[in-house]
Amino acid sequence: MLNRRHLLASMSASAFVPWLGRDSFAADWGAIEAEARGQTVYFNAWAGSDSINAYIAWAGEEVKKRYGVTVSHTKITDTAEVVKRVRDEVAAGKADGSVDLVWINGENFRAMKQDKLLFGPWSEGTPNYALVDVAGKPTTKQDFSEAVDGFESPWGMAQLTFFADGAKVEKPPLSMMELRSLAEANPGRVTYPAPPDFHGTTFIKQVLYESVVDPAVFASPADASAFSSYGPVLVSALDELHKHFWRDGKQFPKAQADIINMVADGELLIGITFNPNEPANLVAAGRMPATTVAWQHRKGTIGNTHFVAIPANAKAKAGAQVLANFLLSPEAQAKKNDLKTWGDPTVLAVEKLSAEDQKLFTSVSAPGSVSLPGPALLEPHASWVALLEAAWLKRYGQG
Amino acid sequence: MTLIRQYSGVAPLVLLFLLPLALSLVLLLPGLVDAGAFLALSQHPQLSGALRLTLLTGIASTVLSLLLAVIIVAQSNRHLQQQSSVFLSVPHLALAMGLGFLMAPTGLLARVIAVGFAGWTSPPAWQTTQDPFGFALIAALVLKETPFLVWAMASVLQQDELRQRFGREMIVARSLGHGAASAFSRIVLPQVLRRTIWPIIAVFSYGMTVVDMALVIGPTQPPTMAQLVWMDLNDGEVLINGRGAAGTLVLSGLIIAVLAVTLLLWRGLRPLQRLWLTKAARRSRNPAAFFKVVWPVWLLVYVAVIVSLVLQSVSPRWPFPDVVAPVLSMAAWLQLLRDFSPLWTSLGMALASSALSLAAVVIWTETQPQKNDRVILFAATVLLCLPALLVALGQYRLLLLVGGTGTWAGLLFAHVLPVMAYVIVMLIGPYRAFDPRWQAASHGLGASRLKYLMRVKWPMLKPPLLSSLAIGFAVSIAQFVPAQLAAAGRFSTLPMEAVTLSSGGNRALVAVYALAMMLLPLVVFVTASWASRPRWRAA
Repeated sequence: MLNRRHLLASMSASAFVPWLGRDSFAADWGAIEAEARGQTVYFNAWAGSDSINAYIAWAGEEVKKRYGVTVSHTKITDTAEVVKRVRDEVAAGKADGSVDLVWINGENFRAMKQDKLLFGPWSEGTPNYALVDVAGKPTTKQDFSEAVDGFESPWGMAQLTFFADGAKVEKPPLSMMELRSLAEANPGRVTYPAPPDFHGTTFIKQVLYESVVDPAVFASPADASAFSSYGPVLVSALDELHKHFWRDGKQFPKAQADIINMVADGELLIGITFNPNEPANLVAAGRMPATTVAWQHRKGTIGNTHFVAIPANAKAKAGAQVLANFLLSPEAQAKKNDLKTWGDPTVLAVEKLSAEDQKLFTSVSAPGSVSLPGPALLEPHASWVALLEAAWLKRYGQG
Repeated sequence: MTLIRQYSGVAPLVLLFLLPLALSLVLLLPGLVDAGAFLALSQHPQLSGALRLTLLTGIASTVLSLLLAVIIVAQSNRHLQQQSSVFLSVPHLALAMGLGFLMAPTGLLARVIAVGFAGWTSPPAWQTTQDPFGFALIAALVLKETPFLVWAMASVLQQDELRQRFGREMIVARSLGHGAASAFSRIVLPQVLRRTIWPIIAVFSYGMTVVDMALVIGPTQPPTMAQLVWMDLNDGEVLINGRGAAGTLVLSGLIIAVLAVTLLLWRGLRPLQRLWLTKAARRSRNPAAFFKVVWPVWLLVYVAVIVSLVLQSVSPRWPFPDVVAPVLSMAAWLQLLRDFSPLWTSLGMALASSALSLAAVVIWTETQPQKNDRVILFAATVLLCLPALLVALGQYRLLLLVGGTGTWAGLLFAHVLPVMAYVIVMLIGPYRAFDPRWQAASHGLGASRLKYLMRVKWPMLKPPLLSSLAIGFAVSIAQFVPAQLAAAGRFSTLPMEAVTLSSGGNRALVAVYALAMMLLPLVVFVTASWASRPRWRAA
């Protein structure tokens, strides 16, 4: 099936011209801080997690204290809503938009960047950007293989991670094949959230990566004719898994948050997360038992970076940059990294920080930390997502 | 003079309701001629499954609710209106959340069975929520809509003038040899149904277009049409938004088609109805014992739902199969108390929008001839029959155009539109049914118009007036989509917080917000029922 979303994706991918204007990077940071004072930044960020909300509230208080910038957390459920809101506002000619900073990555970033809905380039001009581990963490420059080009500022790292109660799962499955065996032995106790929940979409990408010979092909923009050979491979691999999954793979939970609850309740055996520290965070919060184990697949799992971006019609662009810069500071990044607050891995090159700052990051292994890590695999180019989701929906969307 | 009065009487409804509604719909027009969007929709792999599910859940829930409501009303209980108002105050979303907590494989019911009888250690493989046929969604809708219909019918029956007339006619029927049930279904039922046709249509279109309940308790693969449309409308891609707009139009067309078919069937069956009406009288057929327990069952289920929510709200971790969590904590409640602003915003919006709507409709009916009602009833019905999402989208575009997103006025406007529609639908019938001879009598006694309204008409119409106000309040509290769009992140209301939280899976906090959403309308409903209890009765 060739839907309109896919058509748009392939057209715009080929027509894309890299952004060239980098002169504005030299902007005087002092002037930006001065302009920011007194501004209110409406930070639109997914708000389904108490620990994340508390962290954003803390960052807001610090920025108010240090730079006189007020931060208001606009709580949202899905970043696509923000893309839509900004698009509508820009189309209606609303210059003082309702969004000053948005938590974003992947498809949503690509959509906003291509449709000129983002302010920038600005992110490489913030003082703390120099501390980012751009060499060791290439996804801070390439967001789902889309060049960042200074239009968003890295915030945290993510990698597909699985977890379970070690008392129930003695030998964690370290590949999709092993997961299949585990599901066969425990029918109905494994599943994943239905795409387009991004955990579900990532699970499908992971299945695809483990079913083809060379996943490197997915680094380039999507190719519908090539997909005609990958589609059947994906479907047959998923068919094999679904046979033994929850409700025979005919219904799927709606969100990753449901999966966590179902694992905590004992309805499911295996949990999925994009934050490697979430299992440990769940143990610390008393929602999972201390026997919890977390792991990544032997040959690696998909990893990426999440960012913050400023819409083209933002009212408090200076304030938004000041907040983004603070979020990149060693202090804020270390606090975010702490399992007791949020546990979101840092984007900074910790070894390059001052000895004092490095001490902030010394983390000890806690119950639920990843005990069997695997390498991070690059996301397929954002334009594959539409093809994958369409193929999934066509095969499994009808119960 | 009359001309001025007539114009000024029109103004509130036109400015608050008709004009914004018309403009909102006009702003949707460009999307409706988008042939490409309809083509894309026709190629959606889930379209046929979603349409099938929507027809099943929409029709089944309406028919069942209507049937059960008639059975309950036939048991004629003087306190029916007061009792049903308790159920009415429960917002749809909160009920679906609570029912989910009750019936899910890890819900209270499964835990009680596991501990009490079955000895399960892991949750059973029940398909009690998200079942592929949407039975859980139908059950939730029937649980919610039946009391609404009971209440609408009871409001009609409670008008003193109608009650007396029905009483007289029932006596005639009984003396012609009809039993109680037979007399009720021949005399009272047809007249009540005629006066509650709009609430019934509202129930149907709600069942066909409900998004939030379906998201909580409905099937996913395929989802209902409303869910499909909702996902498309919220997509970041503008082309997918277009497909969603096309979907809302198809959904609206489907509703109108079903209503038209029903109307034709009704007309076609009229000879049969007449035959039945004039058929020889039946001696008393006592209603089956089953009918008597229908109403108490409601109370039982709602109590179980509320118990589930309360237990969930104090259980941060609740491993299966414990019936009570190992550690109870008030943490979620404290979190609600820490930030009062969503509660105040919801309360302010609900009070303002329901009061404005009631005033506008009363002014209209007092200054306009009855024949003009057709215009506002038509507009209100159109609004209620269209998927709420579509209207909200048009409303949002209108607000964008005038720069009203993210303002108090914009948020209030977003609440007034749906509230006004419900108030019109609920109030116009009973208000117009008021016997004009009372006015003639008052006039004959030398009372001024104002005195007549204050001392005679409004006190006698207190039940429908207060119940419309309470309905408006509850409708306002439950608004999610239009409020979310209009608020542009600047304001937060209770359902906005609840939906945001539900994406995070902190069930205790979700339960707290569901309970808070129940509490506000409950207070208003109980107060309204208490205030509108009859003060005097004619012999």
